[in-house]
Amino acid sequence: MVDDVSRLSDELARDPASLVFVPLGEALRRQGQLDLALRVAVRGLERHPHLADGHDLLARIAVDRGELQRAFDEWDMVLRLAEGHPGALRGMGFVCFQQGRLADAEQYLGAAAVAAPDDDGILQALAHVRAQLPDVQPVVPPAPVESTHDERFLFVDVLSDVDQTALLLDRDGLVLGGAYLDHEGNDVAQEVGAELSGVTDAARRATRHLALGDWSSIVFETEVAVVAMAPSPDDGLLLLATSRATPLGLVRRLLDRCAERAVRWLGERAA
Amino acid sequence: MSSPFTPMLDALTRQRGVRAALVASEQDGIVVDSSLQIGQSGDRVAALAASLYRKARLSARAANLGGVSFMQLEAPLGRLYAVGAGSLVLIVVAHASANVGLIRVEMLRAATELPALAGGSAA
Repeated sequence: MVDDVSRLSDELARDPASLVFVPLGEALRRQGQLDLALRVAVRGLERHPHLADGHDLLARIAVDRGELQRAFDEWDMVLRLAEGHPGALRGMGFVCFQQGRLADAEQYLGAAAVAAPDDDGILQALAHVRAQLPDVQPVVPPAPVESTHDERFLFVDVLSDVDQTALLLDRDGLVLGGAYLDHEGNDVAQEVGAELSGVTDAARRATRHLALGDWSSIVFETEVAVVAMAPSPDDGLLLLATSRATPLGLVRRLLDRCAERAVRWLGERAA
Repeated sequence: MSSPFTPMLDALTRQRGVRAALVASEQDGIVVDSSLQIGQSGDRVAALAASLYRKARLSARAANLGGVSFMQLEAPLGRLYAVGAGSLVLIVVAHASANVGLIRVEMLRAATELPALAGGSAA
């Protein structure tokens, strides 16, 4: 195993763009060198942000570090990149089980069993979860929206890092909530909103013309950030910006959370 | 009839799941060259994709985020990708099952060749 790490490290040093970071990170994870494994995985994903196996590795490292939600987010990203990935489905089932979400765990493991019907480990885990599944799952009501009188702080408690900022725009690009801080701390929300007016309409027309179905997100990479956008009610637009170091799975998870917050906030505002 | 962009576009459309590849002007979305599957209309796709890319680039500039390297639009039945280089945008339309990682790498590589090819095209 030590020889493996040495060999793979040499290989990665020779070619930093190589995909060998995946087996190297896995070898380090198995050795318990989690910080080092994490660094290898994150650096690899900076070069290969759409590599499903890279996100799978990051998820397994996160589980070993006790970061279950991060692991779930990464596996969610794996599924977006590689539909039906049995490892991701099994991992998400594991996380749900650990969090006491038995019905969700059963659903993920059931899908994993369909994707990999010969995997005894998945079948055993599925049987274990089903044995503990009560007939009726309690319904958990959604948490109330944090009350705030300043719309600029709409997403503050949804975001998890100072490098993240989110903005809610109406159909004309006018700012409804949130803030958009540049690297100097200036709120440039109005300027960004003005440039993005019409995105929702253009995206809808493009997907309609190509018969792709309703668009769900637009993600673009810049020199220093990853920006993700999603449609919001009434032809509005939700925008999230994070640092490039943020794993794409987490970006998408944060975008989903911001979207939920926006929908509830707009609903309460209209009521 | 082939243009300097044709080999690059053909290489992109040979990627699994790719339905169309186009080079368009970012400013007005006019198609410079395209490699499309039968039944596709490139003009409208190019205009809309170039418009989206341009909005992304201008919003990034407004937020001091630097240049935009890669953009993707996701929908249940497919994806639209765009990469800019100078005044041109390289656009790819692909099925949802296409390998995003490979397409991204190929597009970013192709984008580095665009300015030189555009020079050849103008000559």
